[in-house]
Amino acid sequence: MSKKINKIIQAIFPALLMVSGALLTGAILIIISGNDPIAAYAALLEGAFSNSYRISETFVKAIPLMLMALGVSIAFKNQIWNIGAGGQFTIGTILSVIVCLYFKLPPIPTIILSFIFAFIGGALWGGLAGWLKARFNANEVITTLMLDYIATYLLAYLVYGPMMDPNGFGYPQSAVIEKVLRLPKLIVGGRLHTGIFVAIAILFLMLLFWRSTLGFKIELAGQGNDVSRYAGIDNKKIIVITMLLSGGLSGIAGWNEIHGIHLRLMTDLAGSYGSIAIVIALLGNLNPLGIAISAYFFSVLIVGGNTMQNLTGIPYSLVDIIQGLIVVFVITRTAFRTESIQTFFRKRRYQHNG
Amino acid sequence: MRNITKIFGHLKANDAVDFKLRENSIHGLLGENGAGKTTLMNVLYGLYRQEEGEIYIHGQKTDIVSPLKAISSGIGMVHQHFMLARPLTVVENIMLGRKSSRGIFLDTRKVAAEIRELSDRYHLMVDPYARIWQLSVGQQQRVEILTTIYQGANILILDEPTAVLTPQEAETLFSILRQMRDDGKSMILITHKLEEILSVVDDVTILRDGKMISSFKVTPATTKEELSRLMVGRDVLFDFNPAAVKPGKERLGMKDLRVKNDKGLPAVNNFSLSVSEGEIVGLAGVDGNGQKELAEALTGLRPAEGGKIFINGIEAENKPPAFFIHQGVAHIPEDRQNMGLAMGFCVSKNLIIKRFCQQPYAKNGLMNYKNIKNHAQKMIQDFQIKTNSTEDITRDLSGGNQQKVILARELADEPSVLIANQPTRGLDVGATEYVRSRLLEARSKGAAILLISADIEEIIQLSDRIAVIYNGELMGILPKGSQPETIGLLMMGKRQGENTGVKENQ
Ligand SMILES: Nc1ncnc2c1ncn2[C@@H]1O[C@H](COP(=O)(O)OP(=O)(O)OP(=O)(O)O)[C@@H](O)[C@H]1O
Ligand SMILES: [Mg+2]
Repeated sequence: MSKKINKIIQAIFPALLMVSGALLTGAILIIISGNDPIAAYAALLEGAFSNSYRISETFVKAIPLMLMALGVSIAFKNQIWNIGAGGQFTIGTILSVIVCLYFKLPPIPTIILSFIFAFIGGALWGGLAGWLKARFNANEVITTLMLDYIATYLLAYLVYGPMMDPNGFGYPQSAVIEKVLRLPKLIVGGRLHTGIFVAIAILFLMLLFWRSTLGFKIELAGQGNDVSRYAGIDNKKIIVITMLLSGGLSGIAGWNEIHGIHLRLMTDLAGSYGSIAIVIALLGNLNPLGIAISAYFFSVLIVGGNTMQNLTGIPYSLVDIIQGLIVVFVITRTAFRTESIQTFFRKRRYQHNG
Repeated sequence: MRNITKIFGHLKANDAVDFKLRENSIHGLLGENGAGKTTLMNVLYGLYRQEEGEIYIHGQKTDIVSPLKAISSGIGMVHQHFMLARPLTVVENIMLGRKSSRGIFLDTRKVAAEIRELSDRYHLMVDPYARIWQLSVGQQQRVEILTTIYQGANILILDEPTAVLTPQEAETLFSILRQMRDDGKSMILITHKLEEILSVVDDVTILRDGKMISSFKVTPATTKEELSRLMVGRDVLFDFNPAAVKPGKERLGMKDLRVKNDKGLPAVNNFSLSVSEGEIVGLAGVDGNGQKELAEALTGLRPAEGGKIFINGIEAENKPPAFFIHQGVAHIPEDRQNMGLAMGFCVSKNLIIKRFCQQPYAKNGLMNYKNIKNHAQKMIQDFQIKTNSTEDITRDLSGGNQQKVILARELADEPSVLIANQPTRGLDVGATEYVRSRLLEARSKGAAILLISADIEEIIQLSDRIAVIYNGELMGILPKGSQPETIGLLMMGKRQGENTGVKENQ
């Protein structure tokens, strides 16, 4: 039992170190800019938790972030750098709205079909990059990024053109989906919706996924081409499957946002979710539970950051800086793993035990 | 080194070890796999920090906090896995990370001249302008040695330097070491080959389970048996004399097989050989003569350019690796770090990477980690793999214990065909004995075994027939009981019948 706790502490410790490092550096920056860091962080917390609307917002934002980070983490486990989760998300939103607006079906089948289309759309968008990598050895960083742009401009084209709401006074947005197709709200005066149950279900599915043989295959493929081929795995096939699943989860995040929050297409729905999802996946150490916690943490930062800006005048970019710092820390994580630090903790532990 | 203790987790890899290196001497460091040899040397080289103990150099207490400090204290290390930048030249490698006399400009010419001088002095035969990837393993090793000398090393650590060398290259290395000794330098030599201890080493220190067991001068009266008893704590069997068995039908066949290497050049040419049920065919050859490419073609990892492969009578050339695994073809690959093991996986997972889809390790698409763990516990017991737990990351195991993980996996499920490429390389005497007996056991259970080895001794001990490969070609097949000299000649490329007086056997 104590062994298990030890293991958990060991797993969480680097993440905590990175987060506190980022928050501390952020505090120093606030001091340099002539403000009070304690007031700033207090405002941030107030912004995230002071009333039920804000609290519900932290969950609202966490849902798509978590789903996208879970998607990204599948690719990362296989050492594929899928940085185009935003594009996969966008394709998911487009297909969801298309199903809702143009497939004249009863509500329940529409919602289900919308879900399936969003998943498949995101999956194909990711899978295309996977196929290009498997077939032509095309670098996925470039292809996923390019596909991200294509998705963003495709969305812009649609909302300025063929899908523009005829009664929308020329705003670049589509018509809204019908009331019956929206995910029911969970609280009065907040935006939290039943999509959170879908998200939780997918979180559990992911926990299960990493215990499945397919999950094992993906992890093994991530250990190196030679060893996975040696173990009888068809690397090319696994690359494509990895990217299909990775993109599919972001597609589901798109479905969730359409049915729960936006209810229509608008330009740039993905915002910077794609890049935040990468940070969340890495901070969560590619572990589903770690990702869920990290996603919530980032969501608090985002929701609280706006209030902080309003209350204290410290710009929202502090949140971006903290995010950037965490990226830097994650990348230099090897530094946190140096022998000397390990020895330090081992020695202490050893003395404790004997 | 006095009273050195180094702890990993709950394991004392070094437990109050005293180690004394005399000036002007070659000191052998012996011990079973996982005894703590590499760890002790990593402490001396500043890669690990000891929990307890002090290091004295020339009588002076020295705190070696980093490899840089070690180098400035005159300590150099040649690791088991080379640390050279392959696309660069020898000079460039040696200059990496060093200050130049011309400020920001690199004074390649001057350094090259110095290198040539040092190389001549110790007969290292290193061309400063050769690119690393063009060099043989033995040459690369000499570049590493040269680097340490250039950095001013008086104490040189060599971690299993001969594991990757041919006997000739090893001889060259030893004469270099002897000359360096005469020049006032001291060397620490880690090895599992007891003959080497007896022939080149002045003193020997033996570690067991992290503790220093014994340290003494090697005399002509010292014997292999004595050393291995100190190391393992029991008598070790050096001679196997497997009873002749009548081989059954063919399980592994090659006909006019042609395979290319990574550079796209022919590596195996018109190779024909057959291995039958219950038979060990030894494939002797100097490293790099096409053995790796052949083994990979025989397991689906490398395309056959021409010719045929038969597995259990089925035509199998260019089938995917999964087909071979399905047919029960086990493979102990030469490259254990990249091919044989997922270094980032824990031991228990590595033990099943080839059968993770099968019962009892998985059911209905879900892994059964309880069964996987139980299996791992059994394997760790059987093969005496030294690890804290089944969940230890394989990268943290000692070199020999990593090899044992591969062996345990490949021998566990009674293979029908076994391609064993250097199966005992890097293993201590006890483990070598165990693996050889397991190979014989697999044979008696009917496996067809192709034993690829550069170690003539091993080939002779185990093989029912001996094939020799040179430059990708089959030089001939010799019967059991052939003389080492005869095999050696073929390994050097002298064809059978060509003034060797040996008749073709097939
Ligand atoms: N970085 C590490 N983390 C955890 N355990 C380690 C680490 N390095 C070594 N060990 C453990 O310490 C023990 C000694 O390892 P070491 O590499 O020194 O053995 P060795 O004597 O060199 O063996 P071999 O002959 O197999 O190379 C082993 O049990 C190994 O698992
Ligand atoms: Mg070692």
